[in-house]
Amino acid sequence: MRAGALAALVLLLEWSRAIVAQQPRLAVAALLLGGAALIATALPFSAERLGLGTSKLALRVLGGIALGAVLLLPAAVRPGAVPLIPAGVAAAAVVVSIGEELAFRGALYAVLEDLGGAPLAIVGSTLLWTLAHVLSHPPEFLGAVAAAGLLLALWRWACKDLVGPIVGHVIADLAL
Amino acid sequence: MKRRAALLGLAAAAYAVAAWMVAPGFYDGFGPPQAYNWTCPPPQAGANSKPSAGHLTVKVLGGESDANSAFTDDGQLVIGFLPGAFVIDGKSSIDVTITPLSTCPKPSGIQFVTNVYQVAASAQLDPQKAANLVLRYSNLEPDPSAVYEASDPNGDWKALPRAVQGQPFTIETRTTTFGYFAAGYPSSSPPPGAVTVSGGQLLPIIVAILIVVVVLAGLPLAVMRRRGRG
Repeated sequence: MRAGALAALVLLLEWSRAIVAQQPRLAVAALLLGGAALIATALPFSAERLGLGTSKLALRVLGGIALGAVLLLPAAVRPGAVPLIPAGVAAAAVVVSIGEELAFRGALYAVLEDLGGAPLAIVGSTLLWTLAHVLSHPPEFLGAVAAAGLLLALWRWACKDLVGPIVGHVIADLAL
Repeated sequence: MKRRAALLGLAAAAYAVAAWMVAPGFYDGFGPPQAYNWTCPPPQAGANSKPSAGHLTVKVLGGESDANSAFTDDGQLVIGFLPGAFVIDGKSSIDVTITPLSTCPKPSGIQFVTNVYQVAASAQLDPQKAANLVLRYSNLEPDPSAVYEASDPNGDWKALPRAVQGQPFTIETRTTTFGYFAAGYPSSSPPPGAVTVSGGQLLPIIVAILIVVVVLAGLPLAVMRRRGRG
């Protein structure tokens, strides 16, 4: 019940953000508010349950940088210029990246793990993450979105860490 | 621990394959939105204006056509001509028209990500002086890997050699003939995306820096960890 309600809330927030962000004048506000709302979904959880412990912080950050490199690698070796993100959008992108990680690999992962263990947490959070991007991404991109979600969820499971996925996600979103 | 590392490695490899299938790969769409006027807008496009046409009259000066560029009013297609690019045959001027096709052909094996444009002129191009053709595309679709050309939109399409990348969200080629043009990628296989890092791009540098940081910082951390255990 709790997992279902949280999943519905997170999807509603992501889809609403995607719809509102289609209006150019509202895009940054939608990103900021949507990201903040996603962050709020993780507030009832302790830092440890979200994977936000501070032990071995340097390694966690380093892992995040490595994840960022993996996420960017396919785009980096392609021919084609990538535009720089304007500062205002970059700030909003950071908020959304953190919000998505806290919501999907943090809060949702935690409640799904309680419900059915790590397999359900990994698969469930990845499926919901992919569903959340249905309105904002062309269908062709959803495979890459799902694969990225699976990679980040597996990191969350293997390292019991959310700092790495947050750092990697922020880097990827700022660069693409 | 080894099993977890192996699973992570597998997931990273799966991601690389999935992201390679569609350019630019995983992204959250925070880049500047690339406004595009669609003939057939994708579902996520929102409000849409019809694409514009373009017209240019190229002057003939001293028996040679002048250098000039024709473009659509919305700038989605630009074609540039060198001095003497046209076979003038006694003409005093040459008309170039660019018309977006009102339909969206779906040739077998090709997925277009731009509108199809007909580029026509009242004179042929000199085969020795190819015109430079630039198509703008949107980030609502995967990046194209080539510009395609056809003499009939319902006929055979051929991929033109891609020129050096210019501005973001543009694809360039050179052509010595007029006809129908659109940018896209082979739908039966992932966009080729040759593994060449062209100069002046920021992203390869970012990734290289990230890898260097991981290697440089990872070594001391690993040493410290070993000493801590010892």
